[in-house]
Amino acid sequence: MKRVLSNKWSIAVFVLPTVLFFTYIVIIPIIKTAVYSMLSEIPAIAKEDSHFVGLDNYVTMFTQGKRNAWWNTDLGTSAVINSLKYAASSVFIQLPFAMFIALLLVNGVKGESFYRNIFFIPVVISSVVVSLLWQRIYKDLLPNLYDILGMQMPKGGILANKDTKMWAVFIPVLWQYVGYHMLLMYGALRSISTDIIEAATVDGATGARLAFRIQIPMIKPMLKVCLSFSLIGSFKLFDTPWILLERSNKSLPALSMYIEMFQNHKYSYASAQAMFIVVECLIFTVLLNVLFREKKEKYSLPRKETA
Amino acid sequence: MKKFVALVLAVVMMLSLTTVFAEEHEEVTLDCHVIWSAETEANREPFLKTMEEFQAAYPWIKVNLVMDEANAWKDAGETLALSDSLPDVFYWNAGGVLWNLVGSGDILPLNDYLTDDIMSRIEGGTLTDMTFDGKIYQLPYTKACSALYCNTELFDQYGVKIPETWDELIEAVKTFKAAGVTPMTVGGSDQWPTNMYTDIINLRFAGDAACRACYYKTEGATFKTQDWLDGMNAFKQLIDLGAFPDNAASLTRDESEVAYFAGEIPMYVHGQWFAGSLSAEMQQKVKAVKFPTVEGKDTDNQWMGGAAEGFCVSSYTKHPDEAFILCQFLAEGLSKNGFISGAGLPAWKYDFSAYTDINPVLLQIVEATSTAESFLLWGNTALTGEDATLIGATVYQLLNGEITAEEWCDEMETIFQ
Repeated sequence: MKRVLSNKWSIAVFVLPTVLFFTYIVIIPIIKTAVYSMLSEIPAIAKEDSHFVGLDNYVTMFTQGKRNAWWNTDLGTSAVINSLKYAASSVFIQLPFAMFIALLLVNGVKGESFYRNIFFIPVVISSVVVSLLWQRIYKDLLPNLYDILGMQMPKGGILANKDTKMWAVFIPVLWQYVGYHMLLMYGALRSISTDIIEAATVDGATGARLAFRIQIPMIKPMLKVCLSFSLIGSFKLFDTPWILLERSNKSLPALSMYIEMFQNHKYSYASAQAMFIVVECLIFTVLLNVLFREKKEKYSLPRKETA
Repeated sequence: MKKFVALVLAVVMMLSLTTVFAEEHEEVTLDCHVIWSAETEANREPFLKTMEEFQAAYPWIKVNLVMDEANAWKDAGETLALSDSLPDVFYWNAGGVLWNLVGSGDILPLNDYLTDDIMSRIEGGTLTDMTFDGKIYQLPYTKACSALYCNTELFDQYGVKIPETWDELIEAVKTFKAAGVTPMTVGGSDQWPTNMYTDIINLRFAGDAACRACYYKTEGATFKTQDWLDGMNAFKQLIDLGAFPDNAASLTRDESEVAYFAGEIPMYVHGQWFAGSLSAEMQQKVKAVKFPTVEGKDTDNQWMGGAAEGFCVSSYTKHPDEAFILCQFLAEGLSKNGFISGAGLPAWKYDFSAYTDINPVLLQIVEATSTAESFLLWGNTALTGEDATLIGATVYQLLNGEITAEEWCDEMETIFQ
């Protein structure tokens, strides 16, 4: 067995089916999308009229005027900026909240497994169900609450008012996925050796100090995973806003891409937007890798003093 | 003995006939995709009844039926067309969206199948938006139009006259508002219900010719005229008067209609199919009338609508003969059953004198449209692709207070660029 595994040809033979399959279902579609994004229209609908236009579709994404929700400088907002706002909200609100719950649970709370399951329940519910549930909260329960409190509802309703709709989408996403991140962090915190925790406790580290100096630094690899999921999820966010917001809302990259492709039938332009999302996700993944790169410390034995 | 021989011969003949029929009507399976998936859809029951009648009349044609929501099917159908995989027979809108599929060769022209007898049964003028270069690509099942549905109980209760002119409409809105009653409703979130209001108002202010020129992008057409601006400002006036619920922009069509069905809203502009959604009790309270006219404009008898929906056969069906039979049966059958059930106006000629319990609201619309001068397809149906998305999105923005009437005209003008 050892001989087989040390033979590079043997490894190649075993890996080949997976590489071929991965290439077929991931690499080739990405390359095809990249090619489509540089055509005037995709061959399936334009047939002989399809021709190479270089980066025109990418230029359009960032230069078209007021009608372009992708990069709408006139209104001081854009789909890309909105997705970055969601990403920031996820990183600075969702993940700290998940970490807080994970630390609470791991540091000993009565009914730990009960709470863990409660927080995880939204994760197993379909996003569509979660969105419909929150739709009823926004449209039926909240107006009643505003009435009881004698307050004025935001103009147009929570889901239509431009000052509230972004948060109205973010809250269900936070509610749904905070349990997911909590469970990942909880698992990582649980895997820290009790010896280390006990040693730190003996040295006087408790509460916040224990969390910030010992527990959080020791789960850095898992934090990186959570950050990746959180950022990429924000850039690709589609289902919740699609259900909650009005039809043809293009305020997020994935929504804009879908509408350009399936409603407006601008397939090559939508392919350019798809490529932007892919590249954006890759860039942030690389940035995270750089951010979390462990410093390799070099150790050398002290030189022997020679007489 | 003679009896026995006669019996044997009769049995042999019966058996041979069975064989002949079996050979003539080889079992065929067709895929059929329609809308009306929601239980509340007025056309759902008449359509299912028509389908039952079809299965009884043509037992050898099996139908794989898929029902969907209208917007979802529109998006899915256009995507299926790209891969030449539209079902054999399917529901589709007329006008620009049909033209898109005709242009890409996805729809079978039906001229060869339409005999003089069939053509004589179709209501005149209903094939206008289904015919391109002399070829008929779709068969209508209804004539559509929008009307103003007035709850007479509320009008009587608050002493308000059913409006016939724009000024009377504004007066009615003000009176209801002052009495704490929300005068109208609209499902802004779905966007197209708002188009029902803006289209008819623009028709009253700009007229059929100007609207038609813009929706069909005729050379020289423009949205930047005083008439269009006046129309959109008139709609803005309704918004500013508080004619619609405060949260209208976040309501779907279904949600917006709940209050009307509960008898809390006095006025609603919607398609004729809405008449079929009214309960028997509401049918006695509601009066469908022509949308108020505008003084000084010669547009009083112009209507939004026409034959805007029908059934098509895909050009790549493996069974074109059977697909046509299904298409024609559904169109004619739904035309009859839909009218009887109160879901829509018939697009096929039929003697309805035997039916005495037809929806009275629908009969009011038939009466009101009997003197119609013209029918114009709604903007979001006549326009296609990005332009259709734009008209939906911009009326939503106007409803939500995000843009002005001038900005709406500027935005719509970009469809000519």
